[in-house]
Parts: sequence; C-alpha cells; structure tokens
Amino acid sequence: MIETTAKTGRKDVGTLIIASLFIGLGLITLYDVTTYSDSDSVVFPSFVAYALIFCSVLVIIYSWLKPNPHNGFGSGDWWRRFLLVASMLAACLAMPLSGFLPATAIAFAGGLIAARHEGWDGRSAIIFALSGVFIMAGFYSLFRFALGVPLP
Amino acid sequence: MGFEHLANALTLTNLALALFGVVAGTVIGSIPGLSATMAVAVLVPITFSMAPASALILLGAIYTGAIYGGAYSAILLNTPGTPSAIGTTFDGYPMAKRGDGDLAVAIACYASVFGGMIGALALLLLAPPLSSVALAFGPVEYLWLSIFGLSLIASLSTGNVLKGLAGGALGMLLSCVGVAEISADIRLTFGVSTMIGGIEVVGALIGLYCIPVLIDLVATPERHLKVEQGVRAVRFREAALIAWRSRLNLLRSSVIGTVIGILPGAGGSVAGLVAYSEAKRTARPDQKFGDGEPDGIMATESANNATVGGGFIPTLVLGIPGTPPDAVILGALLVQGVRTGPTLFDGGGSIVYTFIFGLFIATILMLPTGLLIGRYAYKTIVTIPKTILVPAVGFMTIIGTFAIRNSISDVIIMIVLGSVGWVLSRFGFAASPIVLGLILGPIAEQGFVQAWIIGDATGNLTGMFFGRPISLAIIAFTILSLVYPIIQGRRAKRILATQANSND
Amino acid sequence: MLKLKSVKTFVIASAVSLAAATGALAFPDKSIEYIIPFGPGGESDISARFQQPFFKDKFGQDLVVSYKPGGGGAVGWAQLNSMTADGYTIMGVNLPHIVIQPAQKDVGYTTDDITTFYMFHYTPDAIVVTADSPYQSLDDLIADAKANPGSVTMSGSGKATANHLAQIRFDKMADIKTTYVPFKGTGASTTANLGKQVKAQWGYTTVGAAQGDAVRMLAVAMEERHPLFPDVPTFKELGFDMVGGAYRGMAAPKDTPAEMIKALSDAFGAINADEAFRKQMLDGGFALLDVDSAGMADFMKARKDEYIQAATEAGLLN
Repeated sequence: MIETTAKTGRKDVGTLIIASLFIGLGLITLYDVTTYSDSDSVVFPSFVAYALIFCSVLVIIYSWLKPNPHNGFGSGDWWRRFLLVASMLAACLAMPLSGFLPATAIAFAGGLIAARHEGWDGRSAIIFALSGVFIMAGFYSLFRFALGVPLP
Repeated sequence: MGFEHLANALTLTNLALALFGVVAGTVIGSIPGLSATMAVAVLVPITFSMAPASALILLGAIYTGAIYGGAYSAILLNTPGTPSAIGTTFDGYPMAKRGDGDLAVAIACYASVFGGMIGALALLLLAPPLSSVALAFGPVEYLWLSIFGLSLIASLSTGNVLKGLAGGALGMLLSCVGVAEISADIRLTFGVSTMIGGIEVVGALIGLYCIPVLIDLVATPERHLKVEQGVRAVRFREAALIAWRSRLNLLRSSVIGTVIGILPGAGGSVAGLVAYSEAKRTARPDQKFGDGEPDGIMATESANNATVGGGFIPTLVLGIPGTPPDAVILGALLVQGVRTGPTLFDGGGSIVYTFIFGLFIATILMLPTGLLIGRYAYKTIVTIPKTILVPAVGFMTIIGTFAIRNSISDVIIMIVLGSVGWVLSRFGFAASPIVLGLILGPIAEQGFVQAWIIGDATGNLTGMFFGRPISLAIIAFTILSLVYPIIQGRRAKRILATQANSND
Repeated sequence: MLKLKSVKTFVIASAVSLAAATGALAFPDKSIEYIIPFGPGGESDISARFQQPFFKDKFGQDLVVSYKPGGGGAVGWAQLNSMTADGYTIMGVNLPHIVIQPAQKDVGYTTDDITTFYMFHYTPDAIVVTADSPYQSLDDLIADAKANPGSVTMSGSGKATANHLAQIRFDKMADIKTTYVPFKGTGASTTANLGKQVKAQWGYTTVGAAQGDAVRMLAVAMEERHPLFPDVPTFKELGFDMVGGAYRGMAAPKDTPAEMIKALSDAFGAINADEAFRKQMLDGGFALLDVDSAGMADFMKARKDEYIQAATEAGLLN
C-alpha cells in the first residue's frame, strides 16, 4: 500500500512499456504479412495489427494523461515467483533428456520450495516430499496408462 | 420414440455405464488439459465390443460429465478445465475467493443439469427441424457471431476498455501464428518450425489463467481461498434457491447453448460467452457481473451443457459433428455400422432414442454425483496446504498441456504465455480479452475471408455482409449489448439523483 | 471377375498365413500407438477407426488412436522421426499433403523424410451438389460457369489440398472459371454446400456416402465407377482425364528396423485383405488401395511427380 501511494502522480511506466511493445508487435506483423503468397491470409493479421497499434497508441495517451496508481507488481517475494517459473521451464528443457518424471520433479520441488512460507524442518520436508511423490505417481499413471498419453 | 426406448435405456448395464461415464467425465473434465475429446477418444475402442446403444450412452455420459467437470477448476483455481468453462471463471473464481466456493460449485451443478436437460430435450423432440439452423449459418453469420462474442470485451474490462481492446487484438494476433487455417501460408513463426502448429488454445488457456494464480500464490503467505470460520450448513439448498430465482436466466442460457451447440463452427466456449453476455445485458442494476455474481456461473454452465444435446443434432441428423467430441462419437457410430441421417429419427431409430434417454439419465445422475464430487473437490482445495497445492497444480498444468498433443513446446509456450499474462494483468491488461481474441479470432477470420470470396464472386458484397436476416439480428444484438449498459448506467444515475433530491 | 476373385482368395490365404507367421514372431506383443495428425471426425480419423477393431481381432493387441492436430498435419509429420522407432509408434500420412506442404514452404520435414509403409485407401475427388440443385449433370455446371465466369462458387477443404488442386485442374480442362471457397475441413465444406452458401462442392465420394439422398454427385475422379454409386459417371467417361483424390496410409519413424516395417506392412495388408473391412470401407465411400512397403518407393515417386507438376501448373508453387 505504501508503494502505491508513493507512485501517485508518477507515470505508469509499465503500461507505457507494454503498449509500446504491442505497437512493436503490430509493426513486426505488418512486415511479416508482406512475405505471404496468398492474399486471403494477409487481410486478417494486417487488420488486427492496425487495430492493435491504434488501441495501444490510445492506451499510451490515456495512461500518460491519467496514470492508474494501482498498476504495479505489488508486494511479494520475487525470488519465489522466479523460482516457480524457472523450475517449470527447466523441467520442459530437461524432459527430452531425462524423461518425464525426473524432469517434472524439478518443477515440483521448485514449486514446493517457492510456496513454503513457514520454513522447513526435517519432518515437514519428508511429508511434503512423500505426498509430492504420491501425487506425481498418481497423475503419471492416470495419464500414461489409463489415458495412453505417450509421456517421454 | 416411446417407452420401450426408455426401458431399453434403463437396463442395469446402461445405468452402470452412465454412472461410470458421468463420474469419470467429471473427474477428467476438472483436470485442465484433459478434454472431453480425449476422454471419449480413449474409450472408443472399448465400445466396439458393446451394443451400439450402450456404447453411445457411455460416450455421451463421459462427454456431458466432462463439460460439467470443467467448472470445478474454473471456480476453484481460476483455470477452465475445458474451454467451455471460460465464462465460469469470470464470476466463479471471485465467489471462491470470498469464501463462497462451495456455493458456486453447487450452483454450477444445478445449472449444468438444467442446461443438459434442455439440450437433450431439444435433441429428443426437435432434432430434424433444428438441424436446419446449422445450415442457415453461413460464413457471414459466423463472422458476426464472433464479433458479438468479442463485444463482451467492452463490458468485461470494467476498468479500461482500451486496454481490453488492445488485449483482444493481441489475442487475435496470437491466433494467426502457424499455418493459416484455410489458406496455406505460414504466419508469424519467424522461421521457427516448432511454431508451425500455432498456439494451442487449451494450453494458452491454462497458461493465461492458471500460471498467474500460481505466481500470486507463492509470492505471499496468504491462503488461496478465504475460508469461513465455524460450522457451516450444507449450502445445496441455498444454491437451489438462487438457481430457482434465476430460472429465466437458466432457460435463456440453455436455449442459447442448444442453438449454438448446433452450429458446427462454434462450440461450448462460444455458447458460454454469448449466454454470459446476454445474462449480463439483461441483469438487474444491483447485479455485479465479474465480481462473483451467481447468475454469471449459471449462464455459462447451463449454456455449455446444453451444447451437448445441441451438438448431437447436426451429428445425428446431418452426419456433421457439432463439436470435436461429437466427431469422435460419429466415428465410433460409423464403425458400429450406424448410418446417420434424418431417417435415423423416423423408422429404425431405436438406437438413437435409447441413446437420448441414456443422455437424460446421465444428466440426471450428474446432480447427485456432481454435488458430491464438487463438495469433495472444494474441501480438498480449501484444506490442502498451499505448499503442496502450488506444485501439484503446477505439475498438473505441465502434464495436462503436454497431453493435448504430446508436445513439449506447447508446455513451454504455456508457461511463457502465463508469465507474460501475469505481467500484463498487473498493469490492467486482463487475460480474458486475450483469450476471447484467441478463440474467436479464427472464426472471425474464416467467416470474413469466405464471405468476401463468395460476395465478390456473386458481385454483391454489401448484401453479403449486411443483407442477410440472421446477420442483421446478430448485429442488432451486438449493438444492443454495447449500448445498453450505457443507457442503464444513465438511468441508474438519474434514479439516484432523483432519490437524492427527494431526500433533501 | 472370376480371376479377380481367385486373386483375392489367394491374397487372403497368404495374408492369413502371414498373420500366423508374424504371430509366431510375437509381433505385435503390445499395443500400437497410431497418431492421426488431424483432429477427429475427418476421413483420416474415420478410416483409422475402421482399422481399429480389425487389428484387435487379428493380432490381439490394441491399435490406440490419438490426435495430434496442427498445421494441416505438418506438426505431426515434422515430429514423426523423433518418435520411438521400435515399430510400435505409427502415424497416418496423407497425399497430396506430404508432397505439397514441404514443396511450398519449410514445414520442418521433407517428403522423403516420411517412411510410409502402407497406403490403404483413397477418397476419390467428386463434385457434389445438393439434391435440389439446378445442376443435373456436369454439363449443366460447365454451361453455367461458361455463361457466368467466376460466379459458380465451390466449397472445398483448405487450400493447396486435394480439393483445391482438383478445382484448378478441372477449371483448366473444362476451360471454365469457378470460384474456390476454402473451408476448415470436409465437414465445414459439406455444411456450406448443404446450406447453399455455395453452388457446389469439391468433395470426395465419402461425402456422397455420408449424405445419401441429400446430395447428388456429378462426377467422380476414378478409373471406374464406384460400386456404391453405379449411376454416377467418372470424369473419364465425360471426357476429362481426372483420376485421383486424397490418398491415405501409415508411416513409421525412419529409424524403425526394416523387419518391423515389413511386419507392419504385412499386418495392415492383412486388414486390407479382409472382405468385411473392404465392404465397410466401400460402404463408407472410400476406394481401396493396396500399396505395401515393397511397392511404396515407386508409388510415392509417381505421385510426387504428378502432384508437383499439377501444383506447379496451378501456380501453387513459386
């Protein structure tokens, strides 16, 4: 809350950056459509790109005149957010090499550590690790054997 | 049609199959990434050794259960288990956040059963005449229907309509990635061959809705959902009361769901969104849609379950599947030697009628099983410690997204989209407009391109786009739902003003 | 006719003995993963579903059908060679898709990357109109197209597909100009035709079989008339040299051992030789094809040359 009150009166930089990125995306699309061979596939993306650029310009103007003080990342631990996303991405990259279960164990452990705010002791670590193994094994067998998904 | 078909459907085997199908379907539907299509496809070989009617009952029960099951994760995790449940997140998750998750799940169950019954009733009584709806909808009608759906962006983004529109455009742009659906160009992949398949809609849904919830969950030690203190009475009755008060909404949404279910190019997600839009338009001034309004859940859940019955109409009458699960079921029917067509309903229609009664039975069975499983799901999500909830849901998103088409790159796209979506949502660009653009974009594009080609060939472009009665009706509804909130807001202000004056 | 019959019985007999022989080698000893690179409900899915019970019957193992849609099949084919190459993972393949797609753009695979081991049927091209259409014969359609160039709209499935190629080729042969309207899949294109959004449809004989009395086929692109439609003339009879359609078969990852390829080819050959299977396929409007792994190279080469030439003439390749 302190953070947001401090922001009042300043520009909403995040919105400005995002809207500019959208404009960039629109321009890239407008370049990409020039490489298409079929005119039927050009109409829609170029229309949407113009719409995106138009809306984003208006967003920038509006946000410049009337910044919204509530926008922002708020409080919260950044390392936990990063750990969660990074461990999930790491799992995807490891999957072709190590197989499905070892790879997703990385994501599971990452999520476990990221979500634990109460601190760790030996007992809770074992309990959570065990229930983690149980959940993963359960879902794995449901997908692999009952539904026949070819998991790597 | 007659009682002998009802009696055929009521055999012990069929009842057991319907029960099993509904329970399995509900569980599968509630897991994000596991769709009704997949569940039905896996079970098709089992049905080869069954009597055709029993096989159909099993497949239909799974299908209808899965559509309902999608509501659980929509309400409790803000993640639509199936695309049909997108609209359920709008009000379901806010309800769960404020501690009314059990109420929301019960309401969703009543609405689903009601919608399922209306859809099945339409299939039973009106299938051959209603199938003409599927044929009356040409490219232009699909174009306008998708624009009607997109108009929901304006009313969904309460804070900033401009950001909503930008998000919608972004979603439509994302829908263009990969091989164009009806022309052969490869778009926006920038030479990366893994992007040729485009952005998988269900994976994107999981990413955009579920990942932000997880990121927010780990950042602070607060609980996932608010829990009421003390002993609480069972809320089935309260939910029933709410549902009864909104019977008009239920009926309207179910009819919308049935009709849109008949359209082969639309499906449950569009039905839910259109029903939601209509429910919002006709709401009383004191109802706050998007803020935990039970009527929002009822609209989408009754509409999406009505598409089950509705979707079977073109499947059985015209041999054109209304939805992807219908397509799988159609394949199973052909293997069983059942020929689809209007004659299926006239003479030797015993299989069809046994199946329709089976669908009724499955829908009715959904009431007790749905309430029970729902209550259990709610309790689990509420009581499970956050430490284990986050990694378990994270694991589910990975395995679920992978299973859609056995692709690791889909999982990576899901996670990246989710993280970007989280950043965007922190600056007022909500996920729902992006998702609407992603789902409705291809429908709009195909409709536009086809209508343009046909209009150009017949030399009547204006007539093509603005001269067809159904199109005009959809356009009128679109304008109405865009303008009506403004009028309503003015009126509410005026009433407030007069009240203030009279108080003086 | 008699000769054909004896050939058939011979084929069946040999297939049975082959099945017995492969059974002795214990193939297959587990279920086979059969990936369809499209969504459910299309011709590829339905013909695979037809094979499913026969496979189970003959070999006692399941043929597990799953879907991997995307990019008009390209997503699946681009990943085929990275899948487990033990003979228990196979994928449906379609012509002209696997020829036209890589010839047009970089789609992550080339035609020669795909190790097809059996082609089991094709769906012959056909012009389909609704039962109450003013076009009673192909001549009516041609006459209308000649009188009003470009105003005859015809729906079809996608672009640079069998339907699209057929439309371009036929326009050229008959010296007419029709307007092709691409739809997403045969189902959507049939709906548009039935709903009179277009005047006719470039479809397959399967559309005629599925829609029955609701539609009329003006001509089919086969050497001889389809047994299910004895009254529908072939293009050849009407003076247009058009035979073809969309061909379907199965492929395995390229590292699959040669003996497994042979075993797979024999297994699916045995299914194709089953009279009950043949009847079911014909009743569905399909036309059967028996190209096994030994004859595949020649078959593919001929098709590839034919499609590349047709697509180049049609201006689809630049």
